[in-house]
Order: sequence, then C-alpha cells, then structure tokens
Amino acid sequence: MTADKERDVLVIGSGATGALSTMVLAQAGLDVLCLEQGGWVEKNEFAHTHTNWAWQRATNWNPDITRRDHPDDYMMGTDSSQPLMWNAVGGSTNAYGAIWPRYRPSDFRKGDEHGMQPNWPIAYEDVAPFYERVDAILGTSGLTGDPAMPPRPECPTGPLPFTKAAKKLSEGFDKLGWHWWPAEAGVISEDYDGRPACNNCGLCNGCPRGSMSIYSQSVWPKALEAGAELQTHARVLKILTGPDGRATGARWKNRVTGEIVETKAKIVIVAANGVGTPRLLLASGIGNSSDMVGRNLLHHTLVSAQIWVDEQVDGQMGYVASVLGREFAETDTSRGFVNGFNFNCTTSAPSAGEMATGWMSGTKAPWGKDHHTWMEKRFGHSIGLFAIGDDLPNPENRVYLDPTETDEDGIPVVKMHYEPGENDKRMMNYMLDRLQDLGEACGAFDIQLNDYRDADGVYRTPAWHMIGTCRMGDDPATSVVNGWHQSWDVPNMFIVDGSVLATGGVVNPTPTISALALRAAEYIRDNFVDLTTTERTLAA
Amino acid sequence: MTLQDAKKGALLAKLAPSVAAFVDELLPGGDGWPSGATIGVQFPLVERLIEQNGEQALMALAETLDRIGAPFDGMDPDARVEAVKSMEANEPARFGWLRDAAFQAYYESPIVVTLIDAAGTPYKILPHVSGYDLPRFDRATQTPRHNRGRYIPTDQVAPVDTSGLNLDTVKTDKWGLQR
Repeated sequence: MTADKERDVLVIGSGATGALSTMVLAQAGLDVLCLEQGGWVEKNEFAHTHTNWAWQRATNWNPDITRRDHPDDYMMGTDSSQPLMWNAVGGSTNAYGAIWPRYRPSDFRKGDEHGMQPNWPIAYEDVAPFYERVDAILGTSGLTGDPAMPPRPECPTGPLPFTKAAKKLSEGFDKLGWHWWPAEAGVISEDYDGRPACNNCGLCNGCPRGSMSIYSQSVWPKALEAGAELQTHARVLKILTGPDGRATGARWKNRVTGEIVETKAKIVIVAANGVGTPRLLLASGIGNSSDMVGRNLLHHTLVSAQIWVDEQVDGQMGYVASVLGREFAETDTSRGFVNGFNFNCTTSAPSAGEMATGWMSGTKAPWGKDHHTWMEKRFGHSIGLFAIGDDLPNPENRVYLDPTETDEDGIPVVKMHYEPGENDKRMMNYMLDRLQDLGEACGAFDIQLNDYRDADGVYRTPAWHMIGTCRMGDDPATSVVNGWHQSWDVPNMFIVDGSVLATGGVVNPTPTISALALRAAEYIRDNFVDLTTTERTLAA
Repeated sequence: MTLQDAKKGALLAKLAPSVAAFVDELLPGGDGWPSGATIGVQFPLVERLIEQNGEQALMALAETLDRIGAPFDGMDPDARVEAVKSMEANEPARFGWLRDAAFQAYYESPIVVTLIDAAGTPYKILPHVSGYDLPRFDRATQTPRHNRGRYIPTDQVAPVDTSGLNLDTVKTDKWGLQR
C-alpha cells in the first residue's frame, strides 16, 4: 500500500462530469487529482480512421460493455438492458452521438404535475444559465426560436446542414401538423476553440477529429492547462471515510503496476456514471442510508422505426440527428398515460454493411440473387426514427452488486435490472403508432418498427441513458444527494454524474448532466473552505 | 496419422474453395456487382471468425460447410441455394454470424465502395478523413415557419387529472409490436 499526498479535491471518473469538475476546480487554484480507470484514446485508435470501421463499431468499439472484451472495463451483468458506455479519458463521450437537447421546465416539476415522480429540488431556471455556459465551453450547434422550448441565446455555432433526410422528415411532420425543429448537437458547424467544423462524415459515435465535443479534446486540455493531475489506469476500489462520516479519500489500484494507493482528499467527487457510481458507493458501504443508491434506474421509454423512401435521401452523410419532434413532449392524459416523449430523428446508417446487417430495425438484406437489388433500393433511401419518453421510476429497476461473484480485485460484480412499468408500456404503444403515422406521412415504401423486445419478450433497450440511481431530492429519506449534489450521508462527497437526475425528461441527458456538473463544481469552488469541515448536509 | 486426423486434413484441404463458394452464394455477382469471393470476402471472414470464436471455429466451419456439400462441385445453381438454405434453417446462429460478417466484409471493400459511389450514392471508404460535402444551413429558407409547439413554464405546471388512467388496476398485456 502506498500513501499518496493529500489533495484538495479527488475526482473519480474522467468522463463528461469529471472533466468539467476537474477543470473548474483546477482553474480556481485547487490541487485536484482525477482518477480514471481507462486511458487516453489516441486518434488512430478510434474505429473512424480504419477501413473496417463498421466492423469495429460492432465489435471492439461496440458501446455495449457486455458485448466487448476491453481491459479498461469492469465486470458487469444484465438480465435486460444493453448497458452502453465507454471507459477512458472522456468517458462515454468517446462513443456517444452528442445529440444536444435540453430538459423542459415541466421535467423538474413532475411531483406537482402528477406525483408519480418527485419534484427536483431545483428548477429549470436554476440550470438554464449553465446550459449556456457548457455550450460555450464545448461548442455546440443549433437554431434558436423553437416555440416548443424556453427562449435561449444562439448556440456558439449555427445549425448543421439541413440534410435531405431532414427535409423529407419535415414534410412528413408538416403533413401531420406536428412540431419539428432542426436538431441541436454537441458538434460544431464552424471551426471553434481550435477544433475543426464537422465534415458530415456520418460516423457519429465519438469523433477523433474533434468536431463532436468529446471531452478528452474539448475539456481535458483546459483542465490540464490549469494544473489538474489526471491519473489514468487507476481503478478505484473503495471510497474511504473517517469516524466522523466524512470522506477521507480513496483506495485505488494502478492497473499498470498493480500498486495499491491511498489518496487522501478534503473533498471527494464521484463522477463514474449511473452504473459506476452506485457500484462504487455500494462496494464502499457509504451514502446509502435511504436505500436509494442504485434504485430508480431510468433509461427512457425507447422505441424506434426505420423507414425507406423512394427518393434518395443519402442518410449515410451528415450528422447523425436530423430533426427533433416535440409535439407530444408534455403530458396529455387523454392518451392514457402521464408524461410525454420526443421524436429523435436520425439520418441513417453511415455504412452499407450496417444497412445490410440490420441497422436500427434489425431488417437485414437478403442473401443470394436478390441482395444487390435490395441494397440498390435501400442504401441511401433509409431514415431512422427514435421515440424517447420519460419513464416512471421504480425502485426495483436498479443497479446492484452480485452477492457472490467478484472481480479480480475482489469488488462484487455489478448487475442491472430494468423492466418498463404500466405507464411506460402504454406510452410505448402510443409511440409506435405515431412512428407508423410519421413513416406513412413521409411516404415510406417500407416501415419497420422496433420495440427492443427479444424473442422472450424481455425489453432490451440500448441504454446510453443510465440515470436516476443516486437521485437528488429535498428529503434524505428518498434521495441520495441534495440539490447541490452533496451526499446526505457523507457531507464532503459530491455525486456529479447522471445518476443524480431525478427524472429523465424526454431527451438525451448529457447536456443537462453537464450543466448540472458545472453548477455543482462552481458551488464546491465557492464554498470550498466551509465544505472542508462541514459535518452535515443541508437541503439546498 | 489417425483416421480422425486424416478426415480433418481432408476437410481443411477443401476449406478455402468451400468458403469461397459459400460466400458466392451469399453474395453472387451480377449487374455490375462483383461476387463476394471475387473481392476476397472469405479472407476477413475467416480471420474474424477465429478472432471472435477461437481457432477451433475453423474446424467447425469446415464441418458445417462439408455438411452442405461445399464447395458445391457438380451441383446446379438451385441445389447450391437449397444447400445454403438448409444451413440457415439448421444452424441459424452460425449462419447469421457468417452472413453478417460476409456482408460487412463485402461493403468495406474499396472496390465495392467505389462502385456504390460511382452508381450515384455518395460513399467513401474513409468518410471521417475526407468528409462529405453538404451545403450549409440556410436560415432564410430552412428555418421552420410552422410556429407549432408549446412548453409549460415552471410557474404554470399544474396538477393533471390522473383519475381515469387506472394505472394500478388496468394492465397492458399486449405491448410493443404485439400491441
């Protein structure tokens, strides 16, 4: 065991929220160490730079942690969802799509609206300024003036190209009289902050050229320039606490040398995502007086459709998201359920091979004499549609530790269970009908729906969004952190990743997660001295 | 050499033409498209099979192809198709992996990529490197003018009537594609 020096702040996890937290606190002159279990991903390690990039996206760059064999991952099992993440500097932004919509004001007030979800301890207005500031740090693109969203300033760069797929979809939405808007993206349409504008390559799972904001390129250089220290290949084994209940630091393993190190810190920030954070808290036996750690896992209700149209829409080109549809985003109980959903419309598969092997809907090209005719008619003619809704929390949907199985370091293997509830099922049925409507309005010659249920009927959603497992709230009995992300039980421990989201909204959560992390980091910065001694967490 | 070794040797000896013939049934040539074997799909197919399933997968593949009569010498075209269909029916998982791997290898061939592009669908072997040209967003003509959509401001979020939903008592048994 090696004793490291004491740091002002120890950050666990270098993904989106760990990166932002480290940057803010290092820029304030604090001594910050960030521990990351993976390493840097060099540009030529990404699939994008190889001719077999499509094959790599299905194999060694498969975002499903249970379907690849990567030494930087920890052991994980699931009986349902596909857990999608990446473990490296920059975290899952190395493989995400960077669709960049914001939460709606009502997303923070579901307790008032129907009571089947909690109110957040904060409101949209508390987060809004941080959305703008995160956008400025990262570089985003989009179009202001959407009547379905609160007013906001211009994005740092203008909207990405309006593709043929977007045009086709807009015509379908117009025919139905439904709302649509060009998608916001964590991608720059013009050169920004030393990074080049998007070149419309279509391979939007991470972006080694840096046009998409992967945090290893957009945030980490600023954090390191400010003096932060980043220790890669450092797997945290336990968060340590003292007799007063305060965190004292963490015990971690250097995965290169095998050395076990204990680093002391005045403040500990956990930023290990909606699976990694509850895994670590449960393994450390801390922060869980509410029994809410790992529970209330949210993924969003997700269904999809793949449509094919006669016109050539060239969905292999351009940013992955084309338009968003917010017609059904707010609750309307006449539909038979609470909460709403958005349409996240994409372009299409960037690869003919992915199209042939069942992109989006699982519809595969035939083999044999009809193969080429099928591909000629469909590659360049496909559009993908997601419907993404706000799922209700269920404490039995959760991340938990296996009672017997452990990994090589003796840490229990983390498991995941998720199944949709009654409200979610009703919503998915409604969403599938509306996807069918949209496909028909677009004049599709084929519409294939996907409910993500396997042959046994199990819902195996592709779960980029693993949130809610350490949710924030006003009440220590029903939440894990307060409105400033401060653990109710461990007053100098902050959780800043997506696990704190109390509701999922109807959108991709990374913009909100990032805005919240920036807000929390600035709170820690501005209250650092008090937080180094406080022994009690108060409601925010 | 044992009889078993001799049998294995015979199977492996014809593996190369067998995989090539199999690939050509999956991806036949015609109408300007090269067949799978013509552009060498069988080579990455076999390499990836071993990478994912270990060296023993090679012998299993040889045995599977032998069972369906590959390399199909002396079989007419319909009989070849029927042979592959029998594998699809009897070994769906193995067949599905081979089919998908063959499709992927075919479409990452620079020759096929170039043919797709030449036929009028813009397509590049390394699109991330050189990108695709798309016109910039035109605010004058592409900004939505529909004025549709609404949101509820924070101070106007109000209780909704959920009394008719009966979420606890009325259960949805048929959902998803079964709805």
